[in-house]
Amino acid sequence: MRTFLILTVDGLTNGFIYALVALALVMIWRATRVINYAQGAMAMFTTYIALFLITHGVTYWLAFVITLGAGFVLGAVTERVLVRPVEGRPPLNIVILSLGLLIFLEALAPMLFGGQVKSFPAPFSRIDLAVGSTVLYVSPFDIFVVASVLAVMLLLTVFFQRTTIGLSMRAAAFRPEIARLLGVRVGNMLTIGWGLAAMLGALAGLLIAPAIFLYPNNMDEVLVFGFIGAILGGLESPFGAVVGAIVVGLVLSYVGGYIGSDLETIGGLVILIAVLMVRPQGLFARGRQRQA
Amino acid sequence: MLEVSELTVAYGGVLALDHVSLTVPEASITAVLGANGAGKTTLVRTISGLVKPRSGQVLLDQRRLTGRAPEAIARMGVAHVPEGHGIISELSVDENLRLGGLWRRDRADHRVAIDEAYELFPPLASRRSLAASNLSGGERQMLSIARALASRPTVLLLDEPSLGLAGAILAQIMARLRALTAERRLAVLLIEQNARSALSVADEAVVLSMGTLVVRDKAERLAGDEKLRHAYLGF
Repeated sequence: MRTFLILTVDGLTNGFIYALVALALVMIWRATRVINYAQGAMAMFTTYIALFLITHGVTYWLAFVITLGAGFVLGAVTERVLVRPVEGRPPLNIVILSLGLLIFLEALAPMLFGGQVKSFPAPFSRIDLAVGSTVLYVSPFDIFVVASVLAVMLLLTVFFQRTTIGLSMRAAAFRPEIARLLGVRVGNMLTIGWGLAAMLGALAGLLIAPAIFLYPNNMDEVLVFGFIGAILGGLESPFGAVVGAIVVGLVLSYVGGYIGSDLETIGGLVILIAVLMVRPQGLFARGRQRQA
Repeated sequence: MLEVSELTVAYGGVLALDHVSLTVPEASITAVLGANGAGKTTLVRTISGLVKPRSGQVLLDQRRLTGRAPEAIARMGVAHVPEGHGIISELSVDENLRLGGLWRRDRADHRVAIDEAYELFPPLASRRSLAASNLSGGERQMLSIARALASRPTVLLLDEPSLGLAGAILAQIMARLRALTAERRLAVLLIEQNARSALSVADEAVVLSMGTLVVRDKAERLAGDEKLRHAYLGF
């Protein structure tokens, strides 16, 4: 029972972080119909920015805010500089570009910040809370992770459902041509969408780095797990992506704890294959089928 | 006033519009008639900026529209109700409607315009929070027109609003359109295959054939000219 609780809390916390990456991928998929393979690398890079700031005397919280901003800028610039010029071209162009960006960032980071594995601070204790002598298996940092991810999801929901820009962005994602006829500046909406997605990624990087450390490809696995979560959710549905990513987090944690930590990654692929065999459209996809 | 002059559009090497000129004064409806493939849809898509012309220009009250992006043209007061109505079925009725003129600075008047649109088309008001995918064909067409009007346009481009509508609903929408044109001093360009219905509300009418403007006349005269009707309009 004790092991089960530990693994569950672990899996949930990781699942919430994968959910950020899954949400980022879904946002970009819905707006631009591509998978951004550089999503993880962008998050790695912004985490380095955070560490750089912190080691140069900036407080954690200020660095936290600046890093989220840097994530937005990185995403927005990526859309303007890399994605915009190949708009309307075959989707493979942008796939290659995002792979290129991934390689570029993973090469640039060690040049700027050094390639060795670095530890990354957590703003709260990672030691499990206890009431008297009963250990609760939940650390203050775990609570912070889950709370901040939930807060971000709430903010995103309000943003998309209740604001003018959010409505314009949804219109632009569903029917770009109709949106333009209605006066929506679709290009700007794409830029904001990429910025927000990269901001989610930046948050994921900040939240996972205390556990997995920081090195130039520390986000590779996180991207894969977030991607599996997004696919499980059907790639179209933000809600599905979150649920999918939490399922991935839990299953990986159980596989690692009960079977063997070497099998964790394979466990992720097994879930992916199993779900795709039973429900190729994903668990939460509505209506039309996904292509390719 | 909307002025189209010498507009020429080509897809690859094929001319879709060949030196087409027409004007639509305010508070009037001009019907654009012609067979499938005559260039009617190309004409409105070029006016709203979705298609770039090879030559010629479009002016709205002396301001040049040609060369601008569709979103900029929309913000200058040109509302385009596209063929097949262009309702975004993933969004609610209210969200679709609010998208009409969502860019406007005057938020208060935007809300007033939305309320007016609901008053004009009461069936929409009772379905406000439903997903637009639940609407019938007639209701979608109403929503599309209501959405265009909510942006307080000076020019209204309607591409085949009669498509898939039952006669009674069509007559109702056309009557509403006639009244609104006078009331809001709209310049309306009405693309139709259903010539009979279009001629019944239009002031002027033009006939496109293979990308060329072959007839331009008062709508009632065109409706009364049996030879022309037979040659171009098939009734």
